[in-house]
Amino acid sequence: MSKIIIKTEKLCKSFSNGGIQQHVLKNLDINLIEGDFTVIMGSSGSGKSTLLYAISGMDKPTLGEIDFAGKNLAELSNDQLAVFRRNNCGFVFQQIYLLDNMSVLDNVLASGLLINKNKRELVQKAKNLLIKVGINENSWSKFPTQLSGGEAQRVGIVRALINDPRILFADEPTGALNSASSDNVLDIFTNVNGNGQSIVMVTHDMKTALRGNRILYLRDGVICGELQLGVFSEKENVERHEKLSAFLTEMGW
Amino acid sequence: MLNVMKNSVPSLQKWGGKMEIMNLAIANIRKSKSATASLFIFILVAALLLSIGLMVITQVNAFFDNKAEQLKDPHAIIMMDNKSYHSRYGEFIANYPGVTGTETEEAIIMNVAKFDFANSELTSSAAIFNADNHRNIGTLKLIEKLDNSSANDIFIPYIFKTNGGYELGEEFIVNYQNKDYAYRIAGFFETTMMGTTNVGLMKFMLPETPYHKLADQLDKLATGMVISALMEDKIQSTKLLNDFTREFPQTAVGETTSYILGLDIEMVKNVSTLTINIIAIILVAFAAIIVFVSLIVIKYRVSNSIEDGMTNIGVLKAIGYTSKQILSSIIVQFVLIACSASVAGVVLSYGLMPLIGSIVSSLSGLVWYQKFDMFINLITIFLVASCIVLVTLISAYRVRKIQPIMALRGGISTHSFRKNYFPLDKTRGGLHFLLAIKSAVANAKQNIMILLIIIALTFASVFSVVLYYNIVSDKTAFVNLFGTEPANVMITVKPDTDTNDLLNHIQQMEQVRNVNIFDLITTKIDGRTVYTNVTDSYNQLENNTVYEGRQPKHENEISISWVVSNQIDKGIGDTVEVQYGTETVSFLVTGLSQSIGNLGQVAGLTMEGIQQLYSEYEGTTLYVYLDDISNKSFIQNVQEQYGDYIVETLDIDENIESQTGMYTAAVFAVMVIVLIITVLVVVMILYLVIKTMIIKRKKEFGIMKAVGYSTIQLMNQISISFLPVILIGVTFGGVLGYFFTNPMLSVLLSSAGVKRLDFIVHLPIILILCIGILILAYVVSMFVSLKIKKVSAYSLLIE
Repeated sequence: MSKIIIKTEKLCKSFSNGGIQQHVLKNLDINLIEGDFTVIMGSSGSGKSTLLYAISGMDKPTLGEIDFAGKNLAELSNDQLAVFRRNNCGFVFQQIYLLDNMSVLDNVLASGLLINKNKRELVQKAKNLLIKVGINENSWSKFPTQLSGGEAQRVGIVRALINDPRILFADEPTGALNSASSDNVLDIFTNVNGNGQSIVMVTHDMKTALRGNRILYLRDGVICGELQLGVFSEKENVERHEKLSAFLTEMGW
Repeated sequence: MLNVMKNSVPSLQKWGGKMEIMNLAIANIRKSKSATASLFIFILVAALLLSIGLMVITQVNAFFDNKAEQLKDPHAIIMMDNKSYHSRYGEFIANYPGVTGTETEEAIIMNVAKFDFANSELTSSAAIFNADNHRNIGTLKLIEKLDNSSANDIFIPYIFKTNGGYELGEEFIVNYQNKDYAYRIAGFFETTMMGTTNVGLMKFMLPETPYHKLADQLDKLATGMVISALMEDKIQSTKLLNDFTREFPQTAVGETTSYILGLDIEMVKNVSTLTINIIAIILVAFAAIIVFVSLIVIKYRVSNSIEDGMTNIGVLKAIGYTSKQILSSIIVQFVLIACSASVAGVVLSYGLMPLIGSIVSSLSGLVWYQKFDMFINLITIFLVASCIVLVTLISAYRVRKIQPIMALRGGISTHSFRKNYFPLDKTRGGLHFLLAIKSAVANAKQNIMILLIIIALTFASVFSVVLYYNIVSDKTAFVNLFGTEPANVMITVKPDTDTNDLLNHIQQMEQVRNVNIFDLITTKIDGRTVYTNVTDSYNQLENNTVYEGRQPKHENEISISWVVSNQIDKGIGDTVEVQYGTETVSFLVTGLSQSIGNLGQVAGLTMEGIQQLYSEYEGTTLYVYLDDISNKSFIQNVQEQYGDYIVETLDIDENIESQTGMYTAAVFAVMVIVLIITVLVVVMILYLVIKTMIIKRKKEFGIMKAVGYSTIQLMNQISISFLPVILIGVTFGGVLGYFFTNPMLSVLLSSAGVKRLDFIVHLPIILILCIGILILAYVVSMFVSLKIKKVSAYSLLIE
């Protein structure tokens, strides 16, 4: 039995731009399932990132409700949202956004220590995760500017995972990476999803989207299509590619 | 035509270049409006204080001299009782080289008169003149007067209005020999001579009728003669008085009923302008601190703007701007701010001068007229602007060394030797505390700036509070500077009384802790007239004025002040010739003392010592120290029991209170100015630094918010990151203030005769002040960092 982790009802998000109201999300009703690797696709300006940040508690909706694990995010204050995010969400950004003045390990711990009391255990956990994503001990004391883009993004993923989030949110996580680094990052995503980690990812890259098991297509602020791809498997990649290609063509991609 | 073209093209280019530099500078100013505004205020305050301080220092002497000239005040006066007067005195003065005019007139002279002054009783000698007498020297110039007249009118010095709390038409009571003489204040007059409470002699004027009425009421002893003299060179007035006393030595030693008093304008000017000068010096010193703060802020701003604008510098260099042009745009930016702010500060100083003028008036009893002083204004602007240009130039010089490609890459060199201080995995302590400490270390340069500023401001605050505490709250140390013995009541004994016998009797009275003979007589030491204290044993006194060596113990010993020591070129171990009356004896100098009073010209002899010069000397003044009884009650008791043996009693505490009242207001004003500026600077520095920090670290704060840090957690991190440096700064400043306030004040007061200063540095007050600055810094940083609320994680992501 699949469990709904996020449910939105009539979710609207508008921006005022020079006195002109721009309705980015329009009465959106979606359900996100625990354990899924959900990919949100759509053309530029379709509202993908806006939707991601609204359902992750990074931004407040204009209207509507967001039920995230039983909490209505629309009713929370900014600081309540911050506490909610630290306990339930992990974020991976296209621009990576590591803290420049902290070492790799400190970047991870700065997030982990927010909710973990046992520092020794947490440090060990951080080190294990870093090793797992291929960041060896030599790099732990480096500063972000001393890392390659791929390395920095893998540190970003460890930071997002350190607090065992209910959902890992990723906004174009491979957008600034080369091909090899992108594969590396996507393998990590596939791995953690295989271990039960829910992921919601925004992308406009087909290769990246293939990692997901559920594709949602957004156009003009509404979900206009959905594709069930099933769990990622390297062997079925050609079939998945064709299926996704057909879906995207149908959506007007 | 061709020639014109040849000449005009380079000049147009040059002009265009200048325009570009100006445009760049203005663009930089526009980009950082609030930082520019705070810097503008710093420089404005510095220029304001500097302008006021310099104007007062440079104008106060001329002001006093001009007043003396306008008022036709005497440059020297000698007054004496009728018995002591001799017509030869007038002839001597009139024939003295350099004397341009002299007048001799009768006056009522009260040796010890009492009147209320600033809610206390002031004891002073009083010279009361007939206002209707014709005179060319020391004419009556009324500042305020009543339109009508009455039979009991009196004209009193202006200081009674500015400091004494009197108004026109009010009753003024003079108490002389325990009898009250009541008058109506018909006018306040200005005078440079005998117009203040701190020379021990005050001038009053009575119209013809009340003057004669008073003269008739008093015994003949109160009528005396006053010889006034005007000199070509008023500086010679001191010499005139010295030569007069040398020519006509006072032979009536030991008598309290006969006297000759002398005052010269140089001495009076020194006494009247001393406090004004000290306040002006403090203002200038504080202006220097503010300039120093501004320079540090500018250094910080320049370094920051170079770092922030590194890419822009790269672009400018890449498209062909020279380092000189870029450097010029930075310098022009700060020169524009410095010049406009210092001009505004100078203009504003004229707005504040009436306040300073009122302080000058309350200290001198003279009406201050502010003059426009272009020279000082230009000096102020030049000093401030040139310091700023110099610091800007030094700070911005590194622009020359930056290669365009390095600048385009944001100035990051290929190697980084940064160290990860306080790693979160190994360092003990709470997360937010550790993050705050990391931030403090990462911003070391900026924190050094804050550290220096906080040290300077804390020191200035401690200095001003110590000054206030010692001059207003616990005056013991301040009063000691004047060489005053801190007893409670002074008793002047009648000449035919056995002083020691009376001393023993008073000593037996209840609530009397101690009684000492403590006389102040005039002797000549190596030919110079010196005020000399005489007592049985200096160990019994509570104020030891000797700062080097010791007070005399034996009959052949003497202590002299360092002023006298300099004048006669003698020190400890030397022998001096002391003359009293007709006798002269050699004494060994055992110590050097200090005193603000009597122009610092004082000495100390033992009773046995003075008895070598005048064997019948017994002493005429008793200093009484009391416990658990009011001075008034004791005076009443002693008058009842021993009134027949007493000429006069004086409530020393009340007299000190009234004499030091004028300093209270001035020092309070200084303290308030210093504290207000301290608060202002702390607030502005933190505002400037935290605002810049939030702008620079906007991305970092956005990321932290995204991963779950709340606004209050980040605000606390920011505030706590400043606390260590503020704590260290406050501690250093407090310690410096604790140990160096006295030495610094000694330097400031050295011209007044002070070598060693023992102001009470009250530790709890310093602690409270330091904690106050710390709390202020924390509250301000929390308040300013509230801006972080506006940094939303989302806005960061959609940037």
